[in-house]
Amino acid sequence: MALDLRQYLSLYVAEAGDHVAAFGKELVRIEQAAASGGDPKAAVDALFRHAHSVKGMSASMQLDGVAGLAHKAEDLVDVFRKDPARIDAAAVDLLLAAGDALGAMIQAAASGGSPKPDAALVERLAAAARTYREGGARSFAGGPAVSAAAPAAAPPPATAPAQAKATARPVQVEVEIAGTCPIPAVRGFLVVKKLGALGQVVRAAPSVEELKAGRIPGKKLALVLDSGEALQTIERALGQISDIAGVAIRELEPERPPAAPAPAPAREAPAAEQSRTVRVRTEILDGFLDAVGELLLATARIREVGRALPDAARPALDEGVDRLHAIVKDLHDKVMTVRMTPLAVVTERLPRAARDVARKVGKQVDVEIRGAEIELDRAILEDLSDPLLHVLRNAVDHGIEPPHLRLLAGKSATGKVLVHARRERDRVILEIADDGKGMDPAKLRAAAVARGALQPGEAAALSDREALQLACLPGVSTADQVTDVSGRGVGLDAVKRTVEGVGGTLELDSAPGAGSRVTFRLPLTVAVQPVLLVGVGEEVLGLPIAKVHGAAHVAMSGLDRSRGAPVLAYDGELVPVHELTRLLGFPGGSRDERAVVVAEGDAGRIGLAVDALLGQHEAVLKPLGEPLDAVQGLSAVTVLGNGRPVFILDVPRLVAA
Amino acid sequence: MAKRVLIVDDAIFMRNMIKDIFSGSGFEVVGEAANGLEAVEKYKELKPDFTTMDIVMPFKSGIEATREIVKQDPKAVIVMCSALGQESLVMEAIEAGASDFIVKPFKSEDVLSVVKKVLGDA
Repeated sequence: MALDLRQYLSLYVAEAGDHVAAFGKELVRIEQAAASGGDPKAAVDALFRHAHSVKGMSASMQLDGVAGLAHKAEDLVDVFRKDPARIDAAAVDLLLAAGDALGAMIQAAASGGSPKPDAALVERLAAAARTYREGGARSFAGGPAVSAAAPAAAPPPATAPAQAKATARPVQVEVEIAGTCPIPAVRGFLVVKKLGALGQVVRAAPSVEELKAGRIPGKKLALVLDSGEALQTIERALGQISDIAGVAIRELEPERPPAAPAPAPAREAPAAEQSRTVRVRTEILDGFLDAVGELLLATARIREVGRALPDAARPALDEGVDRLHAIVKDLHDKVMTVRMTPLAVVTERLPRAARDVARKVGKQVDVEIRGAEIELDRAILEDLSDPLLHVLRNAVDHGIEPPHLRLLAGKSATGKVLVHARRERDRVILEIADDGKGMDPAKLRAAAVARGALQPGEAAALSDREALQLACLPGVSTADQVTDVSGRGVGLDAVKRTVEGVGGTLELDSAPGAGSRVTFRLPLTVAVQPVLLVGVGEEVLGLPIAKVHGAAHVAMSGLDRSRGAPVLAYDGELVPVHELTRLLGFPGGSRDERAVVVAEGDAGRIGLAVDALLGQHEAVLKPLGEPLDAVQGLSAVTVLGNGRPVFILDVPRLVAA
Repeated sequence: MAKRVLIVDDAIFMRNMIKDIFSGSGFEVVGEAANGLEAVEKYKELKPDFTTMDIVMPFKSGIEATREIVKQDPKAVIVMCSALGQESLVMEAIEAGASDFIVKPFKSEDVLSVVKKVLGDA
């Protein structure tokens, strides 16, 4: 897919700039650690991460010059990572020079250039890496034994690898992972890592991020490696990796001539790509995904039906179904990839929106956005757009104080809102944090009691953290004044419901005087979600795993009771236990030996007593049609392999019903 | 000379199974470790040609152990033994320096093929 990289440029400049600044700070810390006899290891590790991040993001922006210099700096730091004691004053000087140069290049890139690094600096870094790796360095105490200039002045050693490195050129490598490999994306990741040892991977499709998310459409990987190694060496390295069905390696044309004006080629490339892309209406994509979901279900159904066949007829059918399933799964992955969209689509308008609110209420605010390049299913992003805006407005309107109060509190006059997204395994964590006045748990308790949502005793029993979550109850607000921006208490409950509707969770944190943080934990995609299947009487129902904390087998008669209702001691707290049959109006639920699923409700954890736990299931969720969508407590439906439809429970609404 | 292998897994039955696979195919099983701490110690002591490493283990994970072993011996060959559903952990292990991985449940020929390839003997 063609990406207009220019839309990410300002983000890149900000983020890469942060890393370069931190890189410099760590170098200073290393010098201080050396002076005080401290251990520089942590700082060296951080140094490596910063260089590595700058390399990665610059390569993604096709700023090969910046990436190349960062790569050389990373190489040198890597030597010290293995032996932090080796880093000395000369190395720190050289790395500081590299950091300065990187900073200048990133600024040049900000104005649309594609800066090239100073060749002498690159060679000094490479030479220093060789020298230090061979052990030709002293500690700080011994003074700068290797001056930064010395390795550069010395002629490069006439060894073959050094020669080869000097003639690094881009090599296109295409790898097909064997169909039998159970985790092809990890295999692809291993290929990228192994090739990274032979040079610099400047481009990879799918990207490392996508591989980490388990996506490798068609089980094919294409990458460009800047390497001085012979093609046979690269081929031999790939030969040592298992589960590879096919490999194609060729040298690419050398870099474009340096005489060409820098920005021009950068624009040409996407233009050439654009001719190969088409715009597709989103409804068509949705329909496509829906159809593929149906295919997945139908395949599971055929497999189930096949179980009834005589043994002799089974293998041929199973083989066919296996193949069909693999193809459909691949198709599904491809559709999902097409639907992935960077978060930037919804975060782009936040700074402006914050500024508008701030101006209206006479405040000053800076909005910083990190991780906008992280991709999510388009359907989630669309649903997320308004909640995100709402939370941001809340932060500016109620969180951030007016400038004079901030100054009195010893803060800067301008408030700060940080919108930070990051990947954690198969989830995206999105935080909106402000440095304003925070929320007052006592006010929230009082507001909840005033609204009749809680009895005074119940409110008093809540911990401060639990009390904060009350802000998500309908009609509860701590705003002293309702403004036309926010404060009517109609927002956060809707935000929470939307986030949960896409399979995510919402949490609130706050420290009085220091600010508040709203955290969304989101799945990458809505279409397929893991659910826990439970049996009640004759029925099978599903609970989103994201909502489930755990489960316990209990004798109902043995449970403690609080105000006549059973409670389960779970993980240090008492969880009220509800009979799922009773909540749903089903008959049954008379047995004493039960399983209790502990799930997340609106006001804390709740236990649901069921007859049996039937295991986890990757469910293709389908929205409920009329009139089922009006039933409180149900959120979606899925179909099991045996053709049986299973309702997915909306846990918070279930108890509220 | 037979290649020497160190087997790291917290489950005795897994160690026995892996041991049977290797000793039946001309490898020499020089040691076993039941957690990451032991693995790092045994590796120092035995200097095996390669190590099979479980990921989730008590005291010290296979990822942490891999990181420490590779730090001491950058040429260490470590093959991770993972279960399905541990994809992100395997990738972490690869970042920590693991050479390759096998996915449980595994067949002996798959294990041997991965090991021979990674040792450059295939």
